[in-house]
Parts: sequence; structure tokens; C-alpha cells
Amino acid sequence: MTENSNIYKDQRLWKIILIISGIFSFAVCMLIVVNYLQVNSSDPVNTRVMNALLLRLNQHPEDLALRNEIREFDLLARKAYFTSQWQIRMGGYLFFIGIILTLIAVIKLDTLNKKIALVSSAATEKIAESHKKARKWIAITAVALCLLTLLLAFLTHRDLSNSLSAKLTANKKQQSCDSTQLSSVPIQQADSSNSSVINAAADTAAKLSSNEFPTAEMKKNFPSFRGAGGNGIAYQKNVPLSWDAATAKNIRWKTAISLPGYNSPVIWGDAVFLSGAEGLKQKVYCFELNTGKIRWTTDVKGIQGSPSKTPKVTDNTGFSAPSVCTDGEKVYAIFASGDIIALDMQGKKVWARNLGLPVNHYGYSSSLMWVDNKLIVQYDQGNAANLYALSCETGKTVWTTPRKVKISWASPVIVNTGKRTEILLIAEPYVASYDPATGKELWKIECTSGEVGPSVAYANGIVFALNEYAKLVAIQIGDQPKILWENNEYLSDVPSPVANNNYLIVVTSSGEVACYHPKTGEKYWSHDFGSPTYSSPVMVGDKVFLMDKKGCMHIFKADKTFVLLGEPKIGESSVCTPAFAEGKILIRAGNNLYCIGK
Amino acid sequence: MQKIRNIVFYIFMLMLALQSYDLSAKNRFPKPEFESGHTQPKTITPSPRTLILEYLDVMVLLVSISLISWLILKKRSRKGVFLTGIFSILYFGFYREGCICSIGSIQNVVLALFNTQYKIPLTALLFFIIPVLYTLFFGRTFCAGICPLGAIQDIIAVKPIPVKIWLEKVLGIIPFIYLAFAILYAATASDFIICRYDPFVGFYRFDASFMMFVIGGLLLLIGIFIARPYCRYLCPYGALLNIVSRFSFIHMKITPAECINCKLCENSCPYSAINIPATHREKEKTSVMVKRYIMLSLILPVLVVAGGFITSNFHENLAMVNHKVKLASEILHNSNYGIKGKEAIEITAFKSSGQTVTQLNTEAAAIIAEFKTASWFTGAFIGLVIGLTLIGLSVFKYHVDYTPNKASCLSCARCMDYCPVLPEKKL
Repeated sequence: MTENSNIYKDQRLWKIILIISGIFSFAVCMLIVVNYLQVNSSDPVNTRVMNALLLRLNQHPEDLALRNEIREFDLLARKAYFTSQWQIRMGGYLFFIGIILTLIAVIKLDTLNKKIALVSSAATEKIAESHKKARKWIAITAVALCLLTLLLAFLTHRDLSNSLSAKLTANKKQQSCDSTQLSSVPIQQADSSNSSVINAAADTAAKLSSNEFPTAEMKKNFPSFRGAGGNGIAYQKNVPLSWDAATAKNIRWKTAISLPGYNSPVIWGDAVFLSGAEGLKQKVYCFELNTGKIRWTTDVKGIQGSPSKTPKVTDNTGFSAPSVCTDGEKVYAIFASGDIIALDMQGKKVWARNLGLPVNHYGYSSSLMWVDNKLIVQYDQGNAANLYALSCETGKTVWTTPRKVKISWASPVIVNTGKRTEILLIAEPYVASYDPATGKELWKIECTSGEVGPSVAYANGIVFALNEYAKLVAIQIGDQPKILWENNEYLSDVPSPVANNNYLIVVTSSGEVACYHPKTGEKYWSHDFGSPTYSSPVMVGDKVFLMDKKGCMHIFKADKTFVLLGEPKIGESSVCTPAFAEGKILIRAGNNLYCIGK
Repeated sequence: MQKIRNIVFYIFMLMLALQSYDLSAKNRFPKPEFESGHTQPKTITPSPRTLILEYLDVMVLLVSISLISWLILKKRSRKGVFLTGIFSILYFGFYREGCICSIGSIQNVVLALFNTQYKIPLTALLFFIIPVLYTLFFGRTFCAGICPLGAIQDIIAVKPIPVKIWLEKVLGIIPFIYLAFAILYAATASDFIICRYDPFVGFYRFDASFMMFVIGGLLLLIGIFIARPYCRYLCPYGALLNIVSRFSFIHMKITPAECINCKLCENSCPYSAINIPATHREKEKTSVMVKRYIMLSLILPVLVVAGGFITSNFHENLAMVNHKVKLASEILHNSNYGIKGKEAIEITAFKSSGQTVTQLNTEAAAIIAEFKTASWFTGAFIGLVIGLTLIGLSVFKYHVDYTPNKASCLSCARCMDYCPVLPEKKL
């Protein structure tokens, strides 16, 4: 009897707990739902009152009291929003506790009410009948599912793949139309009796022929970073070997550049081009080669898609690390913001676009190159690495090749291998070659790692690639490229190597130079200049010009033994690679552009 | 009993103490600091753990699944299963925040099979394989009390109502459909839908989204009356174990010795997973059964082809789950994700990525083409499941004892408590 009364008491207690916790859980649950709907339906910073206040502020921008009122109201609205969020979260915990209590009560009551299992006297479900019913309902469900799927497919008919294919075909047609228009240019011009037009057509035709890369015009000038094709070879003669900034010996002129930049000058005819930038203030400069006078400067601004916020870059890279390039008709520049622009030789904008803010923790630095009327952009950035070919005429994308690589700070190198022209790129994890006509990857070889800064060098069918903490490799190119030799004694994180048929010159960032046999990797010599170097060496005939960070140009012979020809100084710090013209050297040092020559 | 409680308590405290090892699992790169003072929200998935703790999870899984198998098969202890379930809720649920779970690991395995670039973590692979192997040997002991999703439903199944056999069979097809779509989306690297729509993980992490909260809450509420609704009518891993368990070597038995047909266990199973004796009296005419069997066998290939055909016609809708396809579609139709007044964040992110629309369209077209092929297989699989279920329902299985249905029995050991038969004493 006592036991029964205890059970009864327990039952009553747990029933009360069950009722209270059940009501509590239900109430909390409802409150959470209502709170959630309320929070979701209101935008704390876009309320009717707030909009009215903002409208009033627009009409009376000087009203400080109104400004403060808006601030207070905004703070209040935000506080209310976050309090609601907190309430939902706390409500969740309370609901959870309530549910646990409810469950415990239900389980307890169930245990207390447990009765001996009874054998059901009712007839059990007939298996055959159940199976028959199950078959029927499965069949009905299957048919319903089929009909529903077909109905949905019909009602929401998307035809997405056809639309995308049509869009892609239209794009291809547009591109082929662009190239047809381009190829028709010389023919139309050749019909003209005007001789200058015929010459222009001939020039364009020369530009279009990739078999002649680099063209005679390119060799005559210094059209891009590290010369024609960016391979570090200059074809100029009578280059000065001595100068001195202190006595102004052989310094033809010196012109100040208003905006900083670590890009190197390029030359076409009697014009020198470079760029400078500070934040979103971006400029392209044109100097007269003979006098140093600034012919024009063009502000690069107002480009659609250009970021409104200053991109984050490090001081060592800056906002205009990529060098400009020119084809003699236009000059092309790119900046850390992803803005790319083509200017005519008078500095007028021909086209401009933004390629999307490059994700690059130091700052974008790959220089521009051109080949076959296409502007080549190595856009190996964090979000999506791509190699772009833009039409020099219109800026439209001719082709894009996605690359599965890490961020790279190196620049493209375009070379003629005898059989074809190839675009050579380096980025972790590979060196790869691309067809300038289509962007198709011709070959690639995994051989590098880390944050790649130096570009490759090419000579006599061998590509030389290196990076700090990786290795120096000599790659025999071809459809099946192979590594001829490798070495990790002298490596670089900024200066690029340079090579001719007989010698490979490697420069380290600390100022050490090593000379190797290109085919065997045999080291001829090494020399430590003892000063940090960011500039890349340029080979002019059998001489190598290497500028160190202190502004001293180390001139030495590309030979089996180290022969120093001179160490003239410019008197200012320089990290840029010099450009060469007949009898002249252009050096960007400090905030100035120097012309060396007699 | 006190001893067991103490052991469970000490194990739990040890697990909590081991959590301090997580301190060494720092992010490789620090989170960016915002100038505005914005604090970053917590990530949806739990923080990465050190490898040793991941292996510890595997060890815990291995030990607990071995323990529960022993408790079910040897000790026939419902209490043991219940306590192991509580431990799983605490460890795999609240402590491990429901991740990694064997149910979701199906997707890791599928992704690794179809995407060579994805390297499946060893722990994910083991979490997938271990329960499958144990099921092959001992039946669904993993479902009994190791799966935190199953365990939470198991303890709340206090007033179970028996579900009619025919309805059980119809609803039992849903997990296979879910499995087919989970494989489709994982194989095309589009989404892990099992994880996205996991109804209970939000409770374990105390950060359920509203929809998750509603769905999870509803399932728990239903679970009081219809035991384990997620396990029986949704769980894709359960569908897989359902197949494997049919071939289990040592499955639990209701009676420890010969069944005396006392019928006491008949209504004990909250999952309708007991095979009630089927005698010859219930058997239909053999000729009718054979005819139906042949007809359904002939229909089976038709169902497979029809399933494939119909689903492949729906492939573009299915592909919209893929974010790239969705983005391409939004840009193509200029619909801005249905947002008016400002640019959708997805579009802004795409613009700043540097990728061109042509590139996106090319990728999207390739993904859609993949979906076209893959949805053929998905539909065919669903057709096959429906066909085989129909055939299975046409076969009369004669048996005189009360036995657990190997496929649907979750080895919860409730029925054992009702059996009055004592184990035979070995002489």
C-alpha cells in the first residue's frame, strides 16, 4: 500500500514537472519563432524613420544635431538587433533545457506507468495483404514522382546549357570577327596610294608574323621589361661603359618623376615610357629620349570596375611594379589595382578596362608583353590564375587560359624557338609554355616552388628557371620537356637570370653572380659584388649590365672567366632594370629617370 | 551500476581534458583584423583538430562500437545500449559537435572517388568503413547507439506508435533517394547535402539556423511518437547499412534460445523491424506469385531506364545547386539572385575574382554536362531501388519464429527485454 502511494506521489510530481516544462518549452519555442520572424523582417539600418532622417540630413548637411540624432538612432537600432539575436540564442539554450526536462519527465512517467506486455488479441496484420498494399502504394508513389519530376522539368524548363553554349559561340564569333577585322587592316591600307599608310600596313603585317619574333623593329627599340620579349637581351650598340653622377660625366639628362614606381623604362623611337602610382593615383609618363623633357603624362582613372579602395601592397612592391610595354603605336600599362590601359603615342586613351582586383599580398608585379597584336598579361593572382591575351586594338579578351598555380610575381617571356613562338611563364609549381595564337598550353614541367619572383631566361632551346629556396633548373623544351641539369648553389628571389648560347648568368638578391655553361651546368665562375640587387641583368653583346640597389652598375663580360669592365655609379638607389637605346642607357633611380650617353 | 557511472564520468572528463590539445591546432594564417572593428562570426564547421585527436576519435569509435556490439550480442543489455547512446550523444554529439560523422563521410568517399584532386582524410575514410564492416559482421550496432543522430532520437522515442507495414515499406524508399542525390552532388563536387541538411547537428553545436532548428525540432517532436523518423525514413547512411546488414554474419536474435512463439515481443519493436511468423496459410497461390515475379522482373529494366531518362531531363534544375552554375544562370538572366536595389554579394565577389564571364560560362556548361550524365545514373539507381523493393514484396518468406528483420533492425535491444526465454545452459 505504501509502495503504491509512493508511486502515486512520484507520478504526480513528474506529471507536474512534465506540464511545467512542456508549457515552458512551448512558450520559449513560440517566443523564439516570433523573435526570429521579427528580426528577419526588419533591416536595422534601413528603417522608415532612418531613411526620413537621412533625407533630412541630405537637405541640411550642416545640421550637427540631426547628425547626432541619426547616430544615436542607428546605434539604438543596431543594439536592438543584436539584443534580439542574443535573445534567440539564449532562448535556444532555455528551450534545450526545457526539452531535456520534459523528456526526463516523460521517461520517468513511462517507467512508473510500465505495465506487463500484453499479447494482442486482435488479429495481426496479414503479411500478404500488407505487401499487396505496399506494392500498390510504391507503384503510386513512383508514378507520382515521375509525373512530378516531368511536370517540374517542363514548368521550370531552363535550357541553360543551350543558352550558355549559344553565349560561348557568340563570344567565339566575336573574337574571330575581331581578328578578321585586324587581319583585314593591312589589305585595306595596302590599297591606298598613300605610302605612309602602306608602311603602316607593312609594320602591322610584320607585327602579325610570329615567325619573326622578335621583329627587327622590336630589336631596334626596347619595347618591354628586359627588352624584346622580356628575355634580358638588348641588341643596341655603342652603349656607354662609364659615367659618374657626381661629376655629371656622360649624364645626358635627368628628369624627376612625380609618382613612385618600381617599373623599368621602355623605349620606342625617340620616346621613353614608364609609369608611377601612389594608391589610386596612377600615371603613365612619356619622355623625349634626347632631351628628357616630359612629352606627356596621362592620368589613369575613371576605369569601369576599378576598385574604390586602395589595394593593399607592401612598400617593396608598390602600386606600379609592372613595367609598361609599347608596340610603337600604343603604350600599355597595368597597375596593382588591376587597371589596364592602352594609350596612343600622344598619351590619349585608346581603351581601358579593369581585370579585377588581383589578390596578391605583396602587390601585383608581372610586366606586360606583346606578341602578334596581342597584349599578354600574366595574371597569376590568388583568386584565379589566368593568362590573358587582350587585343592590342580593342582591349577585348582574345583568349584566356586558366592556370593551376600559386601567385607569381614573375613576368612572361616570349621567345622564338625556331619552330614557333612560345610564351614562357613561371609560377609554383611549374614552368609552362603557351601558344600565342590560341593560349593553348604547349608544355609544362613541375620544377619550382615558393613565391616566384624571377622570370625565366631562354637561349638555344633551353629555358632557365630559378627561385629562392627552390632550385635552378635548365629545361630542354619540347612537347616532352626534360630537365638537363639543376643546381641550388646560387638562387634568387627577385633578379631574373639571362643567357645566350654560351653563358648563363645568375644573380642573387644579395649581389652574388655566377656564370654557368648553359648545356652542362658547369660553373665557370662566381663573384660577390657584396651589395643587394633587385634589378635584372641585361646582356648587350658580350657584356652584362647589372645595377645594384646602391645605384652602382656592374659591367662585366659574359665569358669563361670573370672580367669586370666597369662600375659606374648613378648616385641614387635603384631597383629597376635599365633600358637601352643606340648609344644610351636609361636608368630609373630614386625619383628620377637618367639618360646615360655622350 | 555505480561503477559503470564512475567509469563513464571519468572517460568523459578525460575527453574534456584532452580538448586542451586543440590549442596546438592553430590556424596557419591569422584571421584578418578589420579596421572597422568587425569581429568575425564563428565558422559553421568545428575548428580543425590535431591529428592525434582525430585518431583518438577513430579509437573512440572503434572501442564504443565494439563495446555496443558486445553488449547487444553477448550481454543482451538494453541498459548498456542506452548508456552507450548517452555517451555517443555527449562525445560524438556535444563534444565533437557532430563532425565528423559516418553519415556525412559517404560524401567524402564519393568525392575522393570522382575527384582525384581531393585527398580524403584517413579519419573520414575510417569513419565510413568501420561502421560498414561492423554491420557486415554484427548488424546495425552502429545505429543502435553509436551514431549521435540515432542515439538522440532513440532516447526520446517514449511513446512509439507502430507504423503500418505497407507505409513503412513506402517510406523506406526515401533514404535510398536521398543517398542517390547525396552521391550525385558529392560526385560533381557541388555540395555536401547530407551535412547541409543535417537536422540535429545544430543542436549539438548550439548554433542551429532557424530552418535547421525547425526541422530538427519537428523531427524530435515526431520522434516521441514515431521512433527514429530520421534513421528510418531519411538517413542515407542507414540505407547503405540496410543493404550491408542483410548479409551480416552474426545478427542479434530476439530469443536467446528456441522461440516459443509467446508473442510478447510482437509489439515491442518501435521500428516495426520484427518479422512476424508467416505460415503457409498466408501464402498466395504459387502461380499468381510466379506470374507477378516474372512481370516485375521484366519491368525492372524499364524502371531503371525510365528513372534515368526522367531524372536526366531534370538535370539542369539539379545542377542549379552548384554555385558556379547558379552564378552563370544569374548573370545570364541578369536576375541578381532575386535581390533588388543592390548587387548580390555573389556577383560582387565574382567581379572581384578576375574571372571572365566566358570562363564562368565554360565551366558552368561543363558542370551541366556532367550533371546530365550523372543524373542518368541517379535516376537509374532510384528506378532500380523501386523495382527491387517491388520484387522483394512479391516474395513469400516462410518462417515460424519471431526474428529481427536484418535490414531494418537497428539493434536497439528493446525486444530482448520482452523475451521470457532463458539462454540454454551449456552442459
